Amino acid sequence: MKRQIPLIIVLTLGIVFFIQFFIPSQISTNIYQTTLQWEIVISAFAIVLAIGSLINHHMLKIQRRKPHWWNSIVTLIAMLVMALLGILGRVEGMESLGQLYRTLFLYVQAPMDSAMFAILAFYMASAAYRAFRARSQEAALLLISGFIIMLGVVPFGSLLWSKIPDIAEWIMMVPNMAAKRGILFGVGLGMTATSLKIILGIERSWLGGGGK
Amino acid sequence: MKILENLTKINRRYIFLMVAVAVIVPLIIPMNLPTIPGKYTIKLYDFIDKIPPQSQPVVIAADYSPSMMPELQPMLESIIRHCFAKKVRVIVLTLDPNGAALSEAALKKIAPEYDAVYGRDYAFLGFKPGSSIVMMSIGENIRQAFPADFYGKSLDSLPMMANVRNYADIPIVVSIAGSAITQSWIAYAGTRYHANVGSGCTAVSTADYYPFLQSGQLVGLLNGMKGASEYEYLNQKNGYSKAPRVAGKGMDAVSIVHLLLMAFIIIGNVGYLVARHNQSKKQGA
Repeated sequence: MKRQIPLIIVLTLGIVFFIQFFIPSQISTNIYQTTLQWEIVISAFAIVLAIGSLINHHMLKIQRRKPHWWNSIVTLIAMLVMALLGILGRVEGMESLGQLYRTLFLYVQAPMDSAMFAILAFYMASAAYRAFRARSQEAALLLISGFIIMLGVVPFGSLLWSKIPDIAEWIMMVPNMAAKRGILFGVGLGMTATSLKIILGIERSWLGGGGK
Repeated sequence: MKILENLTKINRRYIFLMVAVAVIVPLIIPMNLPTIPGKYTIKLYDFIDKIPPQSQPVVIAADYSPSMMPELQPMLESIIRHCFAKKVRVIVLTLDPNGAALSEAALKKIAPEYDAVYGRDYAFLGFKPGSSIVMMSIGENIRQAFPADFYGKSLDSLPMMANVRNYADIPIVVSIAGSAITQSWIAYAGTRYHANVGSGCTAVSTADYYPFLQSGQLVGLLNGMKGASEYEYLNQKNGYSKAPRVAGKGMDAVSIVHLLLMAFIIIGNVGYLVARHNQSKKQGA
């Protein structure tokens, strides 16, 4: 039953909403709108699950004294403090806590997050220097395209030769798009096939247990 | 020849140091490189520019976290400035939990510059979980997804929301995101509910959106910091903003880093080709 009930729900709702899309009546629209509201509520539960999972993971790490377990304490305290400030800051008379939440977010979390992302630039430079080699004709072609795009998106490109941005644009609009369209078609067909398999109960890995 | 071969062995610490210098120096000493707005930036700009003042509101979905802030926050700020200067109403919402504080900060910073009044000129709906479900709900009735704004006020209490029900009352949805969520806006708001969708994305994800530009599913596209810088430039050129060009300054650093990267790649390849040539000579001997 634990597995059959979710499968029945998915099969029924999958078929009902597939048909609903083609019936523009008031009843059908009302059912659709009500379901959308339910789905928003269910989505909120995903956040609850994520928080539970995060707490569980870090508590286990602390209990078992795994390497760098003290970082888990920092994570849990930070999460608790931010959550409390965020929630209490909305209560009338406690707006100063909301301001503190914003300050911590904008002047602590945001710079740290941005700094982590910025480190990528350094690794990319090092990786490009070491790995971006014209080892074959295809690699050389990729290298030349990359150069043109890199020049085309910065002002130096047009200063060097006014046609460089146009060539970069052509690369993006023709060869790049041809490849992207192929990928998009593949993804679209894959999504349709997977959705059908889930609705019909052929694909069951979402139930857990690796589809057994 | 040995020197050329050694070109493949530059210590990565020197590379890091040079990248740091290439980023920091242009930020301290601006180079004021010329800005030439791209076709898709102009398309998005023109679309917003043609929306009649005090009419239906533009929706801006600020779906990004602080890691994408350097590229995307200037986009959000530029579009808000453009709208406020043109008296175009703005609804800002986010489907990323980190986006709420960022977009609220942008609104709080810019609204006083243009004497924009909350509820009359702009509304902030905050974060809502559910991603594509929220997009579909807005297609039915925006109050279904957001019964109240970020501050708990009912949407019906905001004068600017009086005639806003769904995408039919929204001239454009601009998705500013560093993830594939823009594709969901295109699929659900655009394709299913026929909304006009514009995009502002990080430079790395630009390539993903060209098919949607060609098919007309995207009105326009802001390409990373370049797009943000171009939008800032257009705002200043048309007298809509006097604010310092944050992305314009950033583009100086991006330009130098691009040149540095290209130089590294050339150096690496010269060293590699020389080493390969020497090796084949040795094998021949």
